[in-house]
Amino acid sequence: MNKFRLLAGILAFGSLWGTTESYIGSALDNAGLPSGSIMTCFFAMSFLLFSRLYFKQAGMQLGMGVVAGSLKLFNPFVAGCHLCSGIAIMVEGAVFEAIWFFISRDLKELKSINIQVSLGIISAYFMFIVGNIVTQILTPVVQGIGFYLNDLIVFLPRILARGILPALIGAVIVPIIILSLKIDIKLKDKLYYPTALGISLICWFIVIGNWFLA
Amino acid sequence: MGKEKIISIFAILLLLVGTSSAVYVEVNKISTASIKINGQEYSIEELFNLGEIITIDTDEGEKIGVSIESMIIKSNIGCPPCFIYIIKGADGFQQTVEWEIMKTGILTDYPRVYFPDTAHKFWVKGVYEIEVKQQ
Repeated sequence: MNKFRLLAGILAFGSLWGTTESYIGSALDNAGLPSGSIMTCFFAMSFLLFSRLYFKQAGMQLGMGVVAGSLKLFNPFVAGCHLCSGIAIMVEGAVFEAIWFFISRDLKELKSINIQVSLGIISAYFMFIVGNIVTQILTPVVQGIGFYLNDLIVFLPRILARGILPALIGAVIVPIIILSLKIDIKLKDKLYYPTALGISLICWFIVIGNWFLA
Repeated sequence: MGKEKIISIFAILLLLVGTSSAVYVEVNKISTASIKINGQEYSIEELFNLGEIITIDTDEGEKIGVSIESMIIKSNIGCPPCFIYIIKGADGFQQTVEWEIMKTGILTDYPRVYFPDTAHKFWVKGVYEIEVKQQ
């Protein structure tokens, strides 16, 4: 695949993911809903899996995580822990990449509903708990406050318990995304770059632009 | 054993880990009727009478509560900078902070701690204990 085409895809999908995290995630948080769980299993899984199976390129999801996490870090407008969320998003992208690196990009091998549901559970559960654990470690380190292992150990059962919701929704999302790929979506080459760059620009503008307006 | 079977068994195992952790968390739930500081129990009202009520600016707006600095000093902890402070929340979350951070914070009546210059991760909810520990 052409490198520029891949970069444009990473930028567009990463920006979409980061924008939903910045706005929908914060709105869910304000409504007292478990935003981390819902965002991980619903939006993150959808963008990551769709792009993985559509572009069939290893490394793309890692890049998407970096783009989405950066967008969240730069979003000063909506309340919430930007540093924690930004780190968690980048880790989620890396965990997805690691898990799906060993899984075939051939849809035929993912035909069985059993394997689709199981992969949904495994991916969403690991993305959520690893994202959460790394955030607990890196946030105080990045802030220069200091990390205490005991703080993480006592909180670990709750992180493992909270992973249940993303896992269950992941079990539903993966078959839905795989089903959606049966619809033949093809963007003409002429429209590909303007569309990808247009989506990215709009996403970054509504997040970063708010910084200038705030 | 086939690849599909291994993946399915692994997924079931993860769900079991999550479910048993949820049971553990539920069984170990903690009540927040009072707050223990350095081994001594206080009600929220007592703490608000003990320390100075201040307002701090956070990135979520102004927050009003009792100054942790005055609360700790008045709860007879000699040499506050000599210790580290473990703030424990009812949901099992805890954060260890040094005096430099601790003295900037407040405890609200909900009861939650806020620090003006830290990530939200340090804003422990449902505080039920502040353990004072030698560094």
